[in-house]
Amino acid sequence: MILAKRSAIVGTSIAVALTFLAPSALASDVDYVLETARNATFNASRLTISIWGGQTQVSDQWVEHWDGGELVRTNSAWSVYGNGRAMTMGDAPRGIAFLTNRSAPVSERYSVGDVRDVTHLKRACVRVEINEGDARRATLIIDKKTGAILHSEIYTDSGRIFRTISLDKFKPYRVYAQPTTEAAVPFEVVMHADSYGLPEEIAGYSLVDVFPGPGSSEQGFYSDGLFTFSLFTMSRKTQVTGLDDPMAFVTDDGVYDMVPTAQDVRIHWSDTESNFVLVGDLPPDHAQAVLSELPPPDNGTMFQRWWQRLFG
Amino acid sequence: MASVNPVSEQLSILLSCYLDGALVDGEIDVVVAALESDLGAVAEFRRLKESRRAIRLLPVLDVPLHLQPDGHLSEELSAFLDGQLSTTEIPIVTDHLVTCDDCRYELAELDRSRTAIRALPGLEPPVFLSVEPEKSKKRKALRAAVFIASGAAAVTLAFALAPFSSTTEPASVTITDLDARHAAVASVPAVQVGSP
Repeated sequence: MILAKRSAIVGTSIAVALTFLAPSALASDVDYVLETARNATFNASRLTISIWGGQTQVSDQWVEHWDGGELVRTNSAWSVYGNGRAMTMGDAPRGIAFLTNRSAPVSERYSVGDVRDVTHLKRACVRVEINEGDARRATLIIDKKTGAILHSEIYTDSGRIFRTISLDKFKPYRVYAQPTTEAAVPFEVVMHADSYGLPEEIAGYSLVDVFPGPGSSEQGFYSDGLFTFSLFTMSRKTQVTGLDDPMAFVTDDGVYDMVPTAQDVRIHWSDTESNFVLVGDLPPDHAQAVLSELPPPDNGTMFQRWWQRLFG
Repeated sequence: MASVNPVSEQLSILLSCYLDGALVDGEIDVVVAALESDLGAVAEFRRLKESRRAIRLLPVLDVPLHLQPDGHLSEELSAFLDGQLSTTEIPIVTDHLVTCDDCRYELAELDRSRTAIRALPGLEPPVFLSVEPEKSKKRKALRAAVFIASGAAAVTLAFALAPFSSTTEPASVTITDLDARHAAVASVPAVQVGSP
């Protein structure tokens, strides 16, 4: 009964907030949509497809979502994310918790465009277009009862679909699938640190918080309200492993190593002093704009690259 | 038969301080003299002693963390780092850490100490120092002394060389670790719905 009442309130709120919005709606409406989706309760299968550099990345996961938390299960491995914490269970279970009192920016460069009622997965939904300037950046299909985003499409600046995220077998309740409590997992606690010179803004993304990272690295977390990325900076001597068979991401500034997944992209490069790793869910044109405002890669001479590959 | 007179309030305070070990030299003389000559003082002394004993025997009440008004989290911080807190205790600790500079500093220090200890090289006794039962006690003691001395030297050397060594810092980072760190930070709620 309480659940039904709550669902009705969420549904009504979304309907009122979205149905009567003019195309020139306030930017904070995007935040409202995202935050309502963040708090939605459901479990479902989630298919994510991204296209990077002409290659398609696919991920099929089962997810359980509730009050800002999300359990993700792929085959036998599972992870839990939420409220600044990430916990993975596998051969070596571990967790990490970030302590922050950040205030994230609102989505100033995004606005709600066309809004219409649709039916998706036999459920009453609202289809919302999110624009960046005059261009369409995303289309979201939002379940009226729960606020969950059942389907989303993200576009490049040229209007091509770059990522789709689709839920299937959607059930608007929890099944409490987490196989162990957090107390059974050793947690690393990371506290907010002072920035040592990271830019406050990069290509429309604001620096939200800074944390010390592994290997004496520094993690700057950036958000534009819709997409996020972390920029890790570390000594050139620190090796970045796990970037097997990277693709080349070529910009006017140079060639970067890129390993895309369905959910995000990892881009690695070095200059004469530092190693940089960018991890985030931003679209390719945003990634290119961000990289253009950061130190360019120094790929060195052929002999230097050969030496680097052999001896690090 | 000696009568027991009630002691003065001042003497009672002195006896109490005596039990607490809080008297100065002149006051101790007063108390000793009273205990030697005044049965009332002796009776009061015994009463105070019994009271203290009774208080010590009272069961210790563990006040739950969230009921402590301005309590700091010294014990919980260690358990937090060990992952020993229950699911209900974790948010209490993290909420407190966000607002309490002292505890955040203490947690960072605790974490640093543990990292430093973990970075110390493991000490294995050399084969020629392995203890054999047939050797004499004197020889064993000598070997133990050499072992302890070499261990102490190794620890000292480890600390002395630490600034010049790169082994305390991981020489590599994995991309999956960075990915998890980004996902964790990205999961922090950005905007509170309904907030002004």
